Amino acid sequence: MGDIFDGYETDGFFDEAVGSDGMLRDHYRRLAERLSAFDPEELQRREQLRDSIFRTQGITFTVYGDDSGVERTFPLDLIPRIISASEWGQISAGLTQRVTALNWFLEDLYAGERAAINDGIVPRWLVVSADGYRRQAFGIPAPHGARCLVAGIDLVRDGDGTYRVLEDNLRNPSGVSYVLENRAAMTRVLPVVFAEHHVRPVDHYGQSLLRALREVAPASAGEEPQVVVLTPGVYNSAYFEHAFLARQMGVELVEGRDLVVDEHVVYMRTTRGLKRVDVIYRRIDDDFLDPVVFSPDSILGVPGLVNAARAGNVTVANAFGNGVADDKAVYAYVPELIRYYLGEDPILPNVTTYVLWDDDQRAEVLDRLDELVVKPVAGSGGYGMLIGPAATADELATFRKQIQEDPRGYIAQEVVELSRHPTLIGDRLEGRHVDLRPFVITGETVEVIPGGLTRVALRKGSLVVNSSQGGGSKDTWVLEDERI
Amino acid sequence: MLARLAENLFWAGRYAERAEDTARLVDVTYHTLLESTEADESIAWRQVLEVLHLTGPFETSGAPLERAEVIRFLLVDGTNPGSVVSSVQRARENLRSVRELVSSELWEAANQLHLELRARDVSADLQQPYELCGVVKRGGQTITGVAAETMPRDDGWRFLSLGRMLERAEMTCRLLDVRFDAIVDQPSALGFHAWIAILKSVSAAEAFRRTYRSSMDPEHVLEFLLLAPQFPRSVLFCLQAAESYLQQVEAADRQGRARRQLGQVRSTVEFAHAGELLAAGLHGFLEDLLDGIARVSDAVADEFFRHTPAGGLHIVAAN
Repeated sequence: MGDIFDGYETDGFFDEAVGSDGMLRDHYRRLAERLSAFDPEELQRREQLRDSIFRTQGITFTVYGDDSGVERTFPLDLIPRIISASEWGQISAGLTQRVTALNWFLEDLYAGERAAINDGIVPRWLVVSADGYRRQAFGIPAPHGARCLVAGIDLVRDGDGTYRVLEDNLRNPSGVSYVLENRAAMTRVLPVVFAEHHVRPVDHYGQSLLRALREVAPASAGEEPQVVVLTPGVYNSAYFEHAFLARQMGVELVEGRDLVVDEHVVYMRTTRGLKRVDVIYRRIDDDFLDPVVFSPDSILGVPGLVNAARAGNVTVANAFGNGVADDKAVYAYVPELIRYYLGEDPILPNVTTYVLWDDDQRAEVLDRLDELVVKPVAGSGGYGMLIGPAATADELATFRKQIQEDPRGYIAQEVVELSRHPTLIGDRLEGRHVDLRPFVITGETVEVIPGGLTRVALRKGSLVVNSSQGGGSKDTWVLEDERI
Repeated sequence: MLARLAENLFWAGRYAERAEDTARLVDVTYHTLLESTEADESIAWRQVLEVLHLTGPFETSGAPLERAEVIRFLLVDGTNPGSVVSSVQRARENLRSVRELVSSELWEAANQLHLELRARDVSADLQQPYELCGVVKRGGQTITGVAAETMPRDDGWRFLSLGRMLERAEMTCRLLDVRFDAIVDQPSALGFHAWIAILKSVSAAEAFRRTYRSSMDPEHVLEFLLLAPQFPRSVLFCLQAAESYLQQVEAADRQGRARRQLGQVRSTVEFAHAGELLAAGLHGFLEDLLDGIARVSDAVADEFFRHTPAGGLHIVAAN
């Protein structure tokens, strides 16, 4: 092992780069070699180069509830995560399988015969009580059944190194702009190291997304469908990404007030009049999308949009009501849904999950509350979670009470000791916990973008990787072949 | 282009120009009044407020009609929507909404002026506003220059420029309206300095001299500021430029209400005669002009920014 790994400890965790025998894994050897050739000043210089790239480009995100600085840069760790070609083959197949089944489930539920419910795979009451369930979505079919056109599936690796699905994000998954910007920055900061690794490209994401969006255009759209990206506006935390994607695809970035519906047809207001819109890649949540059928006090959305979609004059992607399938309670049934719709065993397992409306499971969970993770079924972004082993007696008591009052509102999971990855802390490497959010695009076919967003919990010992809570990211390199 | 973005650019152009021209107006008023009596001075400042339609808001503010108070109100009072700081802030807000369309340098130029004005200690400026007016003028010129050097000549550029040109035409009319009649009646020695000050306030002194040599005939000054087709701050120049931008943003096959109205206003100016205007009284003519330009601005909004299906406006065929 080279200098830079001197004193590096795995502390008994599964480490992405170092095996349990203390030796570097094969696909990390070359990286370690190259990094060891840099002296500390050289690494520092490259970190400065990275910072200046991000600052000049204004790559930032907003933290809600933090009044201090509105915008922060998202820290990119200089050490990339590397995934071997064979490992990625498995992951990619597992993601394709999972997203395919989830799309089947959504189309079955909203535009089909609700076979999975009728056959008792998922309880009806569970589905209709899900926070993301939208009865307004009934009877609006999605071309090619692509209700979930963009999915972000959060993966973690447990103590054995098994990839498991932590949660599905089927509504408005964000983060893909960081994947592209991280890659662009890394090719400038570590150009030679990057070139030697034969990394699969990610920068075709915009074209892939546009292709899928055009594929789901309604028949009325003709040869050249008009595609737009719909954003809540500049004050949204992910506005940077919305603008980035519109730019990557070369389409208009619109706000709700730019669109108008007349006779169930959607138009955008241009300086030369109203122009028909065929496909809307929306980055506004269901509740704010159409005040006629959803939250009536929203000013972000477009009145009449849902009925225009129902009339088949516009395709809205992702479709309405997808939240029902990434509900954390419905999550527990996804392996069964895969078997049911595809007749296959799930390639990527779930994290062991307990549903709290089941009396036996709830009793066991309440018994072991200090060993488990409890999550609200409707939450996202890591807010409102209980991490049992790290919780105070008060927090445990609060959650115990909440679970008893609203058993449908929570699930419990075994603690997953997220894998760790060497991360540059000061001028040396230390292990930090990571997860992985790959992005899956579904149009006529399913495409998995190689790699995805690796998020890293920069605070020592922390398991929370969310950018809103002290997380950073890594570029994720999927190797083209087994040469390294 | 998207109507909302076009509107943001149009107003960014207007507000940036308004900030700069308000500073010019304060500057020239201050300098032509240096040797006046207190009574004349308060009449003059009242006129400035009037041509800017700010008499009401100023009275509401409760401040006495004194030089320092009017200057504060016009330059740095954030509660006055027509003040320089408010205009700069609005220009900045409008540019912020279209950051995707404009160069980062353009945004930075507006942001920098905004921050500079906010951080500035203005106590000395209220007695002697020359330096502050200079800061605003240079800031405005930087914005205009950076826009010209960094924006592609597409509809975005045209709406920004259209806003700037309509605003500048208006503000030059106001400048003439507020100071002209007062100076025409002054003895010639005093008048000479006043004319120079007016010309300087629109950066026209050198260009004027090259055209008219040593003459300082009021008719020539008026002719230059109103009718000179080559001078970029004359009313005619601004209206002609606005007309050409408007023509370029229209669909090829139609001439809209905005351009028809602008054409009428422009030809009124084009065929005016400075001497006749002076003889007949300038004020009425300028008021009609200002009304006409305001109608053009409304027509631009109707025609380009406010499309609704109920409005019976045409729907563009797909590509």
